[in-house]
Amino acid sequence: MSTVSPFLDPGPLTTPGALALVHLSRDNVVPVYLKNDSGNTVDGYTEGSVINTRFGSFPHSTLIGQPWGSQIRASIVDTGSRGRKRKLGNVVDTDTTGNDTEAVASSTSNPRDVRTAPTGFVHILPPTPEIWTSSLPHRTQVVYTPDYSYILHRIRARPGTQLIEAGSGSGSFTHAATRAVYNGYPKSSEDKKGKVWSFEFNHDRFLKMREEVQDHHLNGLVQVTHRDVYNDGFLLDNQSPGAECIFLDVPAPWQALPHLSRRIPTPSQLASCGLEPLNDTSDNWVSPLRADQTVHICTFSPCIEQVTKTVEVMRRLGWMEIEMVEVAQRRINVLREKVGLNMPLERGANQSPRNVMEAVTRLKQIDSRFKENHKSRLDTDVNMETLMLKTATRNRMALLTMRQRILIQAIHLHQSPGWLDD
Amino acid sequence: MHSLPSGNLRVLQVTPNTTISLGKYGSFPTNLIIERPYHLTYELLDKRPNETFNRLRVVPPAELYADIFSSDTTTTPTPEDATPAPDAEGADNALPTDIEYSLVDSDSGAVVAITDRAEIAASARQTLTLKEIEALKKDGIDAGRELIAKLMLSHTAIDQKTEYSLAKYKLLKTRKYIRRFSILPLDIPLLNHWTLEDKDPSKILDMREEMVALVGCWANVHFGGEDPCEAAQPAVKIKPEEAEAMEIGEEAAETVDTSVPGRWLVIDDTGGFLVAAMADRMGILYPPEADHTNTEDQQQHEAKPNHADSSSGNQPSSKEGEGAAESRTEKSEDIERKPEPEQGTKPSSPQTTRKRPRREDTIPYAHANTITHIHANAQPNLSFLRYYGFDVINPFHTPSHPLAKHLMALSWLQLLEPELDPTYSSAVPNAMPEEIYSWKTNRRSTFHRKRKRWLRTRHIIDTTREGGFTGLVVASTMDPISIMRACVPLLAGGAPIAIYSPTIEPLTELADCYSLPRRAAWASNLPEELLGKSASEQENFPGNEDFPVNPSLILGASIQTSRIRKWQVLPGRTHPLMTGRGGAEGYIFTAWRVRPAEGKVEARGNIRSRKARKVDVVESEGQGQSEIPNTK
Repeated sequence: MSTVSPFLDPGPLTTPGALALVHLSRDNVVPVYLKNDSGNTVDGYTEGSVINTRFGSFPHSTLIGQPWGSQIRASIVDTGSRGRKRKLGNVVDTDTTGNDTEAVASSTSNPRDVRTAPTGFVHILPPTPEIWTSSLPHRTQVVYTPDYSYILHRIRARPGTQLIEAGSGSGSFTHAATRAVYNGYPKSSEDKKGKVWSFEFNHDRFLKMREEVQDHHLNGLVQVTHRDVYNDGFLLDNQSPGAECIFLDVPAPWQALPHLSRRIPTPSQLASCGLEPLNDTSDNWVSPLRADQTVHICTFSPCIEQVTKTVEVMRRLGWMEIEMVEVAQRRINVLREKVGLNMPLERGANQSPRNVMEAVTRLKQIDSRFKENHKSRLDTDVNMETLMLKTATRNRMALLTMRQRILIQAIHLHQSPGWLDD
Repeated sequence: MHSLPSGNLRVLQVTPNTTISLGKYGSFPTNLIIERPYHLTYELLDKRPNETFNRLRVVPPAELYADIFSSDTTTTPTPEDATPAPDAEGADNALPTDIEYSLVDSDSGAVVAITDRAEIAASARQTLTLKEIEALKKDGIDAGRELIAKLMLSHTAIDQKTEYSLAKYKLLKTRKYIRRFSILPLDIPLLNHWTLEDKDPSKILDMREEMVALVGCWANVHFGGEDPCEAAQPAVKIKPEEAEAMEIGEEAAETVDTSVPGRWLVIDDTGGFLVAAMADRMGILYPPEADHTNTEDQQQHEAKPNHADSSSGNQPSSKEGEGAAESRTEKSEDIERKPEPEQGTKPSSPQTTRKRPRREDTIPYAHANTITHIHANAQPNLSFLRYYGFDVINPFHTPSHPLAKHLMALSWLQLLEPELDPTYSSAVPNAMPEEIYSWKTNRRSTFHRKRKRWLRTRHIIDTTREGGFTGLVVASTMDPISIMRACVPLLAGGAPIAIYSPTIEPLTELADCYSLPRRAAWASNLPEELLGKSASEQENFPGNEDFPVNPSLILGASIQTSRIRKWQVLPGRTHPLMTGRGGAEGYIFTAWRVRPAEGKVEARGNIRSRKARKVDVVESEGQGQSEIPNTK
């Protein structure tokens, strides 16, 4: 059971070797392959492998064996001296290194010795295609969750279906598609289960994808092939994948379309599409599509010109019920807006009246102060300068104690002399 | 489901040896479409002189696209495009289509009169009277094409129309009079489309396709693994009662501790639509016959339960299909016809279930890949499942349906106060075997029924209250805060949560409960009543004025929406369609269930780095909270 991908069944606890997603903050998730090497010194860390974040350091040993979703406190890890130590070791002599490792080994024998640091915490989440999509290392433009969810829904990718994907790219769609078609691992070569047949043209991305499939325990569920699908089609050893769903995320989907026909497209059909005739003109045409089922296709293109070209070729090749849609997603941030005259002065607070009543009350207040002031000015024969001085000091003091209300008064007081002159 | 040229959809069950009426378009015998692939476009042919029914003709794609191709040639007259290849497919039954071309004149590029300003009142310019049209319709031949041709010929202002309006006019008339239709499978996207467009969208809370897809993805709903008990057995065909007896199940659960079976909690006020959509994602929506045909929707919809519906004032279908048994035999023939490599992978074939001996301790529920549905009324309302051959009121009438084993329903009362449920709180009906044998058949069956019911109820309530669910999916009219309060403690750590709401207000309120300041306040000063309480007591915090729910149990609360816009893609006429439906926008709340560390958690930031400290000071001054750097 341990061979089941953590994407499909993460198990109750984090385990060594599994992929975990360390959630630092929203939009900041770090994928980590947990390593159980707490006995050894890794990269200069006596604790074994360590993740360093802005919230502190987290040795892998503190992340393993925890229930998924756990909040993990940072640990005190000597990050500062390790680089120096290595440099020193190089400079001084090789004899001391033996002593060093001994000392290190004694201090790291028990991972529980790791002390927590007050620097912060992370949450450790099981991998899902959604979190993976937001954290994966970009190799190409990524097919995001709103796109792939809708695509998989429309092409009817269900447990047990065979799905062709051309252009693995960064692998976000591959993971989501695998989850959609997964209905168990094939137990033998005859045991046919839902599978993703992924094709990638770029050799580096192909290698990376194959490595990822290995690391994520998706063998048997995803078949990655290095292939130029425009020219070489979708057959594997001249065997048909028997696909029921197709997703083309390639720059020119129309060039791949002739290979996805039930019968070999006639030269006149291809000519009307403006395409070259297929290389394979032999009689034994094998269609990569499943013979006895409806096949759904989706192509993903950023430009309208690509879309019109693709749609035209699709029509010529006999695809039905063609629809073009555009997906627009919006994320909504919920914030509490603090509006009101008596709000404490802090970030995000808006010190304006909350409603009409508050505005009227304040205006009345201002008005009465103004009148009071006016009256006092008229009654007492005070010299202008002292008054200015007085108000200024009062003003400053008030600012120190009650910031926000006095700010408004200050404006009033400064202006009042001018009005009086009128 | 039928798709008519007018764009309307009708849901009906196709039963052999009957006739389907298409209303004004005519009718045809069902046997002509049974065992044919879906999505083909048929055309009603004229009755042959010595026959009493209309034959059908499959319309090849090249003919359906003829207009588009020909208009393409007028705009870009390239030599390749001038010769579309309609003869490549279906040449044997293709009818000559040149009538249309000679009328429209578009293939020769002879469409004249390009004036946009001329006000064209189509109705005033039509010289054919209603009577004449009716007469043409009656004896109309050639699937209404002749009628359309006549209509266009007798339109006096046809030469004043622009190319675009001509195309529109023809489309309009074609939709009205051409006798074409296609048969589509009633799968989730189509059911959704039909309910939104033709039925009552409020019934499914205006849930659009993209929302259903998004909710399913964010809740990580997928095939949740085989039943651990079943998987443990080497033989493919095992007797379900042995595998599922509860005591065995418990033993097996101990052995497979590296795996968590997928169990999803679904709160559904959409009449079962959400449950059906999630079941589709988990591969348990279609009966096992469908499973044998590799879960594709090729044939099983002909076994749609007795339901005929008409949309937008169309005539109700002539058939209230009562021949479920007949269509069943139809399907089994179909399976035999198709060589199928994966027959027998599902242990629960109908035969074994039917042969199941009476054994009282059988729990007829799977332990993995299950949906638990909590309903607000005494009985669950999951009526949409009827379209997929599952009767939720009497699930054991359809024992072969995967949902019978994989769908459990309980009420909120049973979840929160099970002691008030009469079945749960009563003692188990028990009797000695000798005693049972002495009873009359009547009484015996009552006893067994009661005992089974008790066991079922007990199993559902106990397993649900135990928690450990792998995900929560909600589309409910109830306040999401109250749902979260009850459901979050039942989720396993790291379990995703996805809540759909047609309006955003309930979700903003919910998101506010998990907002950054609130989480920070919770971390720095726990409510007094929880001081010194255990983690589980904190999880089941009933809420107070400041904290409606325990905010530390949830991570990454966010709200999103997604909307698709359809485009028309025609040569030279590509633009967004302006006919999108209105209705509620729909929003989704997503989050993960997490397990807070016990005790106080400090988060001062990394004090080693001077830069980080600075940032930290600013933040703690601003908010006076300890948790700030992390929860932002």
